[in-house]
Amino acid sequence: AEVDETLKRIQAHKGVIATMIINAEGIPIRTTLDNSTTVQYAGLLCQLTTKARSTVRDIDPQNDLTFLRIRSKKHEVMVAPDKEYLLVVIQNPCE
Amino acid sequence: SLQVFDDEGKDVTPHPLFHSDPDAAVPRQAKLLASSDCSGATGSGFLSFPMHQTGGDEQKKSRLLTSHNLSDVQVRPEEIKEQLTEEDLDRRVDIYLTETETIWMLDMPSVVASVESEDAGRILERNKIYVDICKNRPGNDRFAEKMMQTINGAAKNKEVQCDKIVMEDKGVVVTSWDLYDSFNVSEIEPASKGEATNGKSSTSHTTKKHDETASVTSARGNITSVTTLESAALARTHKKEKNRLEAILTSEKFQQDLFFMERVLMENIFQPKLAAYRQFPVLIDPSVTSDNAGTVVAVKEAKQEEHDKGKKDKEEQKEALIDPSIMSDLNKPVEETVPPSLEQLWSYTCDLTKGLNVSSMAWNKVNPDLLAVGYGAFDFKEQKKGLACCWSLKNPMWPERIFQCEHGVTALDFSMASPNLLAVGMYNGTITIYNVRSCTTTAILNSRDSSESHTGPVWQLKWLQQDGNTAEDDKRERLISVSADGRLTKWLVQKELDCTDLMKIKRAGSEKKNLPREKERKSLVLISRQAAGMCFDFHPKDTNFYLVGTEEGLIHKCSCSYDQQFLETYKGHKGPVYKVAWNPFSTDMFLSCSADWSIKLWHQNSQTPILTFSSTTTVVHDIMWSPKSVFIFAAVNESRVEIWDLSVSILDPVITHSGNPEAKFTSVLFAKNTDCLLVGDSRGEVSVFELQNLAASSSTKV
Repeated sequence: AEVDETLKRIQAHKGVIATMIINAEGIPIRTTLDNSTTVQYAGLLCQLTTKARSTVRDIDPQNDLTFLRIRSKKHEVMVAPDKEYLLVVIQNPCE
Repeated sequence: SLQVFDDEGKDVTPHPLFHSDPDAAVPRQAKLLASSDCSGATGSGFLSFPMHQTGGDEQKKSRLLTSHNLSDVQVRPEEIKEQLTEEDLDRRVDIYLTETETIWMLDMPSVVASVESEDAGRILERNKIYVDICKNRPGNDRFAEKMMQTINGAAKNKEVQCDKIVMEDKGVVVTSWDLYDSFNVSEIEPASKGEATNGKSSTSHTTKKHDETASVTSARGNITSVTTLESAALARTHKKEKNRLEAILTSEKFQQDLFFMERVLMENIFQPKLAAYRQFPVLIDPSVTSDNAGTVVAVKEAKQEEHDKGKKDKEEQKEALIDPSIMSDLNKPVEETVPPSLEQLWSYTCDLTKGLNVSSMAWNKVNPDLLAVGYGAFDFKEQKKGLACCWSLKNPMWPERIFQCEHGVTALDFSMASPNLLAVGMYNGTITIYNVRSCTTTAILNSRDSSESHTGPVWQLKWLQQDGNTAEDDKRERLISVSADGRLTKWLVQKELDCTDLMKIKRAGSEKKNLPREKERKSLVLISRQAAGMCFDFHPKDTNFYLVGTEEGLIHKCSCSYDQQFLETYKGHKGPVYKVAWNPFSTDMFLSCSADWSIKLWHQNSQTPILTFSSTTTVVHDIMWSPKSVFIFAAVNESRVEIWDLSVSILDPVITHSGNPEAKFTSVLFAKNTDCLLVGDSRGEVSVFELQNLAASSSTKV
């Protein structure tokens, strides 16, 4: 389906290290990384997303978090949060 | 004096166990009781009392007395302390004093007899005896101390144990959004469709934002169809989890998120190029972590993202805000005169388009980032299935919309009045209209159904807003097409495509004797009386006039109001004229390019060209005037892209760019809002070039 196609395209992009879909409880549903790293990312990112969302909504309750990007020295972690899931893509944008 | 009767009226008054000797006991007991009455009812009163009353063994007596008295006397209950509040102290309290009921413990009324009665003597005697006994009592052996003990019930200990009361500490941090949510919970409740709609309502603001900024008739439409997952990729034993996974993957929100994620990825990959396109100064991504640079890049990216999310108008203002201390080497100090050049930024290509020939390109009229590209071969022999794609600036690696067509696409154009309509002309003469807003890839209208559809390839399409035609009351937009069957047709886009012919291009008759080549041509092709039209262009100022370029090499100037004859004919080209273009600023001049390897500049009043540019020995496929400058135009022939600047030189192009030897360039398009050029080639790539250092006169006057 279109969803699968888009997912495949994203995974095949230049510089994309990993793609993960994590459900609301922090359990990874789909991932292209090994299990232990995925679980680690899942736990940490869930917490961070909750915190970020809380921050955004505290300032204005009608606002909500739509996208979270963490740029680090080595790569960029992009999180698209939702109530049911987290879509995480890790990309190395330089090369 | 208390009597007890049972049900049958029998007197069952219990007999007293203790028969007191009234003479001996009464005074003593009466005295005892009298003193007990007047003493306080506290324990201390009991204890203190015997001390002044009787002599003898006080301890024993006191115990006797207390136990005796205690069994008879009620213990006054403990007073419950009342909590007094401040107000209570000031409150007016009414105190009522009443006499309580007197409790008779023992009532032994004294008997009084008259002195003159018969018993009087006896009573007096008895009283005297009593007094004597009282006198003799202390120390008399006849009086013996005796102790008594009441029966104390055996005490029994009883224990009760209750369950342990579990205590829990619970703390809640209340945030302002929590309050907001619980307040609004009743409004969100009715979303029974699950998370999809829920997510939608809570992100309604963001989607609205996208809708607004993507313009009224957005071509970058939101994905509204819900696709079904064919099979769950992971093997899950629990069906519930499987369902949830499917629910997530098929939810609209997920698709949207994927869509945005892809765009964000693209932005990361292409960021410097996109910045160059937008004419931001390009920042080098700092691998060295200087905080200043980091923040500027972050700011820059935030700006880029914010900009991508749609605030297009503010680009120029933002440019001014970027810290000028961090610029890349691309913008060298311009003391040295750097020759103008084309630098390739990126190219729109994907697997689908590989190997196809780019035949036409068009910008969306409202959204300057949306590009429609038509793929189709020019030659009859090479006909394959055609493709029309809509590419967005935000994703150079995958088109936003893909429309598969049965025949090669030869022309396309976006509408102005309804910018979501894309008209596509094909090699077999059909014109189809697509709505790019929706995700479906079926055409809205197809001219196949019309009886007057073209019979030859549609070489050019244009939407035109006709004005000044008072005959027709509506100023609606019309679609004009020219095709190889020699007709220039105006289409009405309503429920169906309806058309009227503007002009039938007649073959030039015997007037043209001078050029022998023309005769040859004429003798070869006498199948139709009409000459194939290859291109047209309406006058920028007056849409009544237009030029038509034909396969014979003639250019005709015609008028909409007179379709029988041409107003003027311009002869000069020796091969099919592939493109004519009025100069947008100096509207008496127009340019034409042809397969005879030349580009000619004409003035509309002169029948011979003013200037001829022949810089190449290959077919010139496409030309376009620059939207910014009156002197500059771009030409594309099979091997090179050329930029001509007439103010600089009329003999040579200012910039030439040779491409890949296998690829032949086939179409060219200037970008409207930036100094970039798009070139399509025969490999299916549309390359975006940045025009650098073009001494751009933005003058619009000749």
